[in-house]
Amino acid sequence: MLDNGIKEGKTNMFGAKEYVTIYTTCYDMCTQRSPYNWSRDLYQRHGETIENYLTQTVLPALREKTGQGGTILLAELQHRWSNHQIMNKWLKKFFTYLDRYYVKHHSLPTLEQAGLRHFKSHIYDGTKAESAAAILSLINEEREGEIIDKTLVKSIVELYESMGMGGLEAYTADLESPLLDSTRDYYVKKRESWIVVDSTPDYLIKAERALAQEKNRVADYLNNASETKLLRVCEEELLEKVEMQLLEKEGSGCRVLLANDKSEDLRRMFTLFSRLEKGLNPMADIVQKFISSMGNDIIDKRKARLETEKDKNDDPKFVKSLIELHEKYLGVIKTDFAGHSLFQKALKDAFVEIVNKNVGQYTNAELMSTFCDRVLKSGGEKLSEAEVEENLDRIVQLFSYLTDKDLFAEIYRNQLAKRLLNQRSASDDAEKVMISKLKMQCGTHFTSKMEGMLADLAVGSDQKTEFDAKLKQHNSKLDFSVQVLTTGFWPTYKSPEVVLPEQMSTCMGIFKDWHENKHAKRKLAWIHSLGNASVRGTFGKKSYDMQVTTLQAVALDALNGGKTLTFTELAEKLNLEESVLKPLMHSLSCGKYKVVTKTPASNKINSTDSFKANPKFSSNMRKLRIPMASLDASHNTKRVEEDRSIAIEAAIVRIMKARKTLQHQQLIAEVLSQLAFFKPNPRVIKKRIEALIDREYLERSKDNNNQYNVSSPPPTVVLIGILALA
Amino acid sequence: GSGSGSGSRSVGPNGVDEDAIVLMFDNIADEDDPYVAGMEGISMLCDDLGIDALEDIRVLVLLWKLGANEKPAQISKEEWKKGCIELRVDSMAKFKALLPALDTGFLDRTEFKDFFKFCFQFNRQGTHRTLDKDLVTALIPMTLKDRVPSKRLSTFCDFLTESKDESYSRITLDQWTSFLDFCYEVEDIADYDEDTSAWPVLIDEYVEYLEELEKK
Repeated sequence: MLDNGIKEGKTNMFGAKEYVTIYTTCYDMCTQRSPYNWSRDLYQRHGETIENYLTQTVLPALREKTGQGGTILLAELQHRWSNHQIMNKWLKKFFTYLDRYYVKHHSLPTLEQAGLRHFKSHIYDGTKAESAAAILSLINEEREGEIIDKTLVKSIVELYESMGMGGLEAYTADLESPLLDSTRDYYVKKRESWIVVDSTPDYLIKAERALAQEKNRVADYLNNASETKLLRVCEEELLEKVEMQLLEKEGSGCRVLLANDKSEDLRRMFTLFSRLEKGLNPMADIVQKFISSMGNDIIDKRKARLETEKDKNDDPKFVKSLIELHEKYLGVIKTDFAGHSLFQKALKDAFVEIVNKNVGQYTNAELMSTFCDRVLKSGGEKLSEAEVEENLDRIVQLFSYLTDKDLFAEIYRNQLAKRLLNQRSASDDAEKVMISKLKMQCGTHFTSKMEGMLADLAVGSDQKTEFDAKLKQHNSKLDFSVQVLTTGFWPTYKSPEVVLPEQMSTCMGIFKDWHENKHAKRKLAWIHSLGNASVRGTFGKKSYDMQVTTLQAVALDALNGGKTLTFTELAEKLNLEESVLKPLMHSLSCGKYKVVTKTPASNKINSTDSFKANPKFSSNMRKLRIPMASLDASHNTKRVEEDRSIAIEAAIVRIMKARKTLQHQQLIAEVLSQLAFFKPNPRVIKKRIEALIDREYLERSKDNNNQYNVSSPPPTVVLIGILALA
Repeated sequence: GSGSGSGSRSVGPNGVDEDAIVLMFDNIADEDDPYVAGMEGISMLCDDLGIDALEDIRVLVLLWKLGANEKPAQISKEEWKKGCIELRVDSMAKFKALLPALDTGFLDRTEFKDFFKFCFQFNRQGTHRTLDKDLVTALIPMTLKDRVPSKRLSTFCDFLTESKDESYSRITLDQWTSFLDFCYEVEDIADYDEDTSAWPVLIDEYVEYLEELEKK
């Protein structure tokens, strides 16, 4: 009955009644007492029956189908497997009782497991190689674009999965492993043909497609565990093994794509190579070199311009080009390279190289500062508030790449002072914004002087009202205001002790008294080279309002009324040196508005010249601005050098104080790491070390010439001096 | 009372006649300061000894051995006394007998280093802590003759003389002593590595100078 049941079971499902009958029979057989208990026999019989059925019926059927083509074999296998599953299920149902007691009691494999094992040893193990080959061949067909019976494949895959008896070992060893090998072979061939014929972007499109397809394949009919391994094989063969060839391909490699702004292709390249460990490094390398070369082109253009144009501290074309280059690749990195840190570093390294290449007389630090001056001064570039902030933002980004940041700060400070003192700053807020951006980059110490300057002006305007009232009391004929500057914040200026007209000195006196009253301890020093004045000049019938410097006003006053004075007379009367008087008189007699006549006429002031107010002077404008050349240098290079010496010595002292003894190279390295705003040559650092040895703060170690010790005891005077400046 | 007549001499430790020592000093002491013997007096001493005050290195060796450390270009009475007692010289004859021993060849490296340092310190002028370049180029061959190859000495002096660097118009003690150490330690400049060296920049530049010479 059992035999029949099985045979029938393979095609029909049992009805409920029949099921119960069989189940009960089994139950009865198993619950009787020995020697009438049939459990063992039943169990054995179960196994034998299955075995016989498989070997005698199933196997031959399969054998018959081999050699007829992969699909046919697979179909038959699938059919037999499906049958087996049904049979297994029903047998288990019938003989549940066995499972529940006999099997458990004797720790035997369950009926289901036994059934599976029989299938594995009698059917599966013999067929697995061939059916795997069949599947792989189907897969390759699908890769070539053919349509295959995915359902069939999937069910066979399930067979492999089940043959692991709970684990994936059978699947992994018998199907997955050959699959990986055949996949590898397949893509090696593909790669070898593509790489020769295709451009890099085309190749990458194909690679991308292949990877997508393999991923879908796994989802469609393979086990999930294979996804990573399968994709890894593809990545290795399609991408890793030819990465450099792809990147450097003539006419379509990474550099070419960059040069031609091939955004989509670059994005694809990035996505694909980021799959590889360290896959992005060579790409970032190329990007860095490319940006560097673009930067060098900009520098070369500047070099070429300097051969025909005059070298000045202002080159907006150059600065703008750098900004544009930076903005462009900032964008490329964001869109095409997902803002990846490797590429940000590439941009940074390229710009550090470019920004510190100086050409001509003026450093890039100065050119950048002058660019800011243009943006920030009134009458410079015409920009909206948003544009101003954008420009400043971008300049600060470039600034961050400068090695000599302290030089920039010094020049910027000088230019800021000029703007502030001549009231040529377009917007107080814009000045503050720029300073705060610099502060964010470099810290408070970096911008403290600049902020001090702004603070002085704020105080000045507060106090102005108070002083104005005071001035009114004295019935001064002159409109007079004073800007007090705190020493140390502002650059140092030449201060010629010019002889002032009485009206001016009276006003100064009033201020001095008022100021002394307010701030008893503070000492005032007048800097006449900086002041401005408004002078009403009447030439014949017409009057003009002339905006001039204090010194120019004094000279005009001296020539008032039509007197003629020689250069020497003026120099004596006004107590001015030649180096000051010459540019002064030049501005009044050789500039755009020749309010003073020079005899003999020429474009150069000689100490033999004589001057007189120009009776024939006329202009269409009522208000004239008569500029004068600055008496002070744009910035004090010596100052920067001195500050650097001090900073280096302070760093050495700090370090040696902590370490007490240090080897030469280590000291140099630590000093360099402590200096944020400039990078000195090791020789420069050595000179400061020697200076400290000479001042007996440091000494060379007696047993090791390459080592330094702090002198014991260090001279207190020297130490305090240095620390105060640190 | 117990008399100490003019004939009795004080004989100190070492069996030297201290009074004689003091007498010798008085002969060479400055006019304005009896406790100090300056270059004038020292020259006189040299004349008596028959050696050239300016050219003979034994002068410096003698002053060094006597311990004339307090101030440059002079020896104090105290230093003289102490030094003479230690050297056991209390007469011109004994000084003359000492002369051969003043050869620097007798000094080992450490002693010579100390002597060399003394040469610098003693030759300072006024309150200066450095030596004038010209003095250095004169002293170097004089003090280092036979101790350092003459080629090294002459190239170094040439280098200094030719240098237009303002900061080398005066030479510091560190530069001076480093030059000697350099001569000891770096015989072949091919071994010189500026990147790892703590030698003063002066030496770095001197090596550059030598390398340039080699190229020619």
